Amino acid sequence: AVGPKGIFRVIERSEQWSVGELEPEDFGAIRELSMNPIGDRIISAFFSPGKETVDFASFVRILAHFHPTETSRSRDGVQPEPANSRTRKLKFAFQLYDQDRDGKISREELLQVLRTMLEMQVTEEQLQSIAERAIQEADLDQDDAISFDEFRKVRGVDLIRDQIDNWEY
Amino acid sequence: KSALLRCAPRWSSFLPLTGLMCVLLLVFVSVASASRDVVSENNETWRGPAGETRGDSHNQTNSTAHKKAFPVLSFNYEHVRKPFEISLWILLALLMKLGFHIIPGVQNIVPESCLLIGVGLLVGGIIKAIGEEAPVLDTKLFFLYLLPPIILDAGYFLPIRPFTENMGTILVFAVVGTLWNTFFIGGMIYGVCRIEGGQLASVDPLSCLLFGTIVSAVDPVAVLAVFEEIHINELLHILVFGESLLNDAVTVVLYHLFEEFTHAGTVTVVDAILGVVCFFVVSLGGILVGAIYGILGAFTSRFTSHTRVIEPLFVFLYSYMAYLSAEVFHLSGIMSLIACGVVMRPYVEANVSHKSYTTIKYFLKMWSSVSETLIFIFLGVSTVAGPHAWNWTFVIVTVVLCLVSRVLGVIGLTYIINKFRIVKLTKKDQFIVAYGGLRGAIAFSLGFLLTNSEMKNMFLTAIITVIFFTVIVQGMTIRPLVDLLAVKKKKESKRSINEEIHTQFLDHLLTGIEDICGHYGHHHWKDKLNRFNKAYVKKWLIAGERSTEPQLISFYNKMEMKQAMMLVESGSTAQLPTIVSSVSMQNIKPRGPARQRAIPSISKSREQEIRKILRANLQKTRQRLRSYSRHDLMIDPFEDNVSEVRFRRQRVEMERRMSHYLTVPANRQETPPVRKVCFESEHKVYTYDDSKSPRGWTAEPDPSPPDAVSLLNESSQRANQSSEHRAKHNDELRAKVPDEKEEQDQLKLSRCLSDPGPNKEEDLS
Repeated sequence: AVGPKGIFRVIERSEQWSVGELEPEDFGAIRELSMNPIGDRIISAFFSPGKETVDFASFVRILAHFHPTETSRSRDGVQPEPANSRTRKLKFAFQLYDQDRDGKISREELLQVLRTMLEMQVTEEQLQSIAERAIQEADLDQDDAISFDEFRKVRGVDLIRDQIDNWEY
Repeated sequence: KSALLRCAPRWSSFLPLTGLMCVLLLVFVSVASASRDVVSENNETWRGPAGETRGDSHNQTNSTAHKKAFPVLSFNYEHVRKPFEISLWILLALLMKLGFHIIPGVQNIVPESCLLIGVGLLVGGIIKAIGEEAPVLDTKLFFLYLLPPIILDAGYFLPIRPFTENMGTILVFAVVGTLWNTFFIGGMIYGVCRIEGGQLASVDPLSCLLFGTIVSAVDPVAVLAVFEEIHINELLHILVFGESLLNDAVTVVLYHLFEEFTHAGTVTVVDAILGVVCFFVVSLGGILVGAIYGILGAFTSRFTSHTRVIEPLFVFLYSYMAYLSAEVFHLSGIMSLIACGVVMRPYVEANVSHKSYTTIKYFLKMWSSVSETLIFIFLGVSTVAGPHAWNWTFVIVTVVLCLVSRVLGVIGLTYIINKFRIVKLTKKDQFIVAYGGLRGAIAFSLGFLLTNSEMKNMFLTAIITVIFFTVIVQGMTIRPLVDLLAVKKKKESKRSINEEIHTQFLDHLLTGIEDICGHYGHHHWKDKLNRFNKAYVKKWLIAGERSTEPQLISFYNKMEMKQAMMLVESGSTAQLPTIVSSVSMQNIKPRGPARQRAIPSISKSREQEIRKILRANLQKTRQRLRSYSRHDLMIDPFEDNVSEVRFRRQRVEMERRMSHYLTVPANRQETPPVRKVCFESEHKVYTYDDSKSPRGWTAEPDPSPPDAVSLLNESSQRANQSSEHRAKHNDELRAKVPDEKEEQDQLKLSRCLSDPGPNKEEDLS
């Protein structure tokens, strides 16, 4: 789980801790996070839709996603079925893309992600073309959006499951 | 390849081999009969065979016979002797290599390195049989000429991400593992020698430790040669290979340390501490030297836009200088070379032209291939040639100890490492890592460098035996073992754009989480490094507009270019490769009311033709940074007239073909100047301009109507922008079309445009 040191730091940053809940502004106080292109998305991921604050339990629950995968990955030729926790991690990442939580990453959402990541250094057309290509590669049922299953199956995501498993906080 | 080989008639497979053997024998006979000059005093690296007197007499008889008359034909071998011999050796080595690949079936059983050693043995045997003195793998030749290309090739193309992710593990294996091996082998050998007595009794502990150092270092050349062929998964490959590279620092330090001590005779605590300090100096100093040269190289490449031809040379020379400079100070040359390649690469690749990039890649591969071949052949030859002192006990014990210590070391270290790793190393991984610890030519050369003593020959024999054992036995059996244990193999998949996007996204995510926790981990520092790189370093080291290009974009450009080239290479009538079919547009439904046009589906062959034409544009892409979407194909006019001509011609061809397939609405024909014609099809071509302002396409930024092909009315805008481009991008466009074609083009074009157009629905399939 998250190291106790980590939690204490967050506690220090948050003045409202006595109240027992965190608000988005508290996260905003973390300087590096504001420099992070997807910082807002991360922050909003802590808050359930509709709620203004997050309590300690939910906070820890979200952070628990970043615990190493429980089941030891065997390196046999046959990969076992993805463990539940890996799926949960992927789901978490998926939800960061899918802001409106409709279960699909639409072209517009992908564009937004690209826009924030590339930080206005590219032209609109390039973004469009990249998004187009990404969707084409992933979109298997031709609905012009990436569902969670397609997200998992995309060749790229498959290869970065190592990274996902290595989340170690 | 195997199918091809099977098709070849049987006799032809024997022919190369016998031919090679004949050539070999012939050559050596001729070499033997040539004159031998007094080479050794001149410190030449090649020791030639044959008698001097015979050669002299040849010349003498020639001269006496033709003393009066003008010599029409004379024989002067001395003149070209050295380069001739060198070239001959290299040529023969490569012919051997060629022969092995032609002969069917051999390469599946035996790795190439074994074959080459075998050939070397054969050649050495022949030379000895003739009675000549065979050339030995001279240490200077090896370290200064044969080793650097291999290391540079490895370092330049080092996969950075897995390397840095596993850096801790690699370092532990390299440093602690080598130390363990050294002391274990050295100590045990000393113990065995003491017990055995007799011939071995005079061995002193420091010599044993020195011997242990030499024989315990995993060799990058051998590892590369064997692992290349078994296509093992990336993690194991980078572990073993990274270890073989980084243990050079340890080896260098220990070697010099023990050598000094052997001469000094005694060891004090101060010396030991100095040794540790020396290690840090050697490794960090090596890296620093490499990094400095790397930055210099990157900086130089920023200005090479006018002299493209010599660009590759800068890369090679700076790297070589890095190696040599490190060697001057007895720093680790290998680490310096690796650091130079790693530092230089991202900036150089952003700066050089595509052709230079290909040149660099192929030259590095070529040189490293030649070097590797020569090293193994020479290893064989030197084995036959060198003085040997065979001592059964010593040799057998050495081999056994090497294996044992390696296995123990790997198991022990993995146990410790796994406590810190998330992705643990399994038993299978450990086995492969242990089994892959091959010794090679570096050990041999270091052994050769030892000062002459009665022990030296014994050591050398043992070293050679270990090398042979590891390369031949382990090298041959590792492939079936890998298959037997079902070790994960390398996935031959291309990186997709999705992978790139998601990797970056996850990086940001993890960095953000780290910031929330206040945990300054891996991702935090990587992020900081990236920011620093983007903010300061790139500005200095990358020329022009590419300095602000985000990584995703350059990746995307590269990918598009590769795809287009692949399409071209597969030919216009070939099937669309699967990667393209994923881009096929036939099933994408039109979106929303914005699209008013009917969307004809594009035939695959037409798509390919368009791509082929694109390709010609794409070849300039590395400087131009064209990125392609499927949506618009705009052939922007280029700067000089010549290229315009070329484009006009291509456009003409394309139009001609398209007029067969597509509906060309009549009202578009008033598009005035020819070159402003744009086709909206799968690809949109646009270039960067220096201002980086979002381009003001007023027409169709919307990506979706993929199949719409129509002539757009953007002529006026194109005119403005094209003249801008012309001013700004003035590059190395080569004129492919002679000027006389211009009129012809005009004619064709007008003919096309005046085509009464719409063959309605003629062929839309």
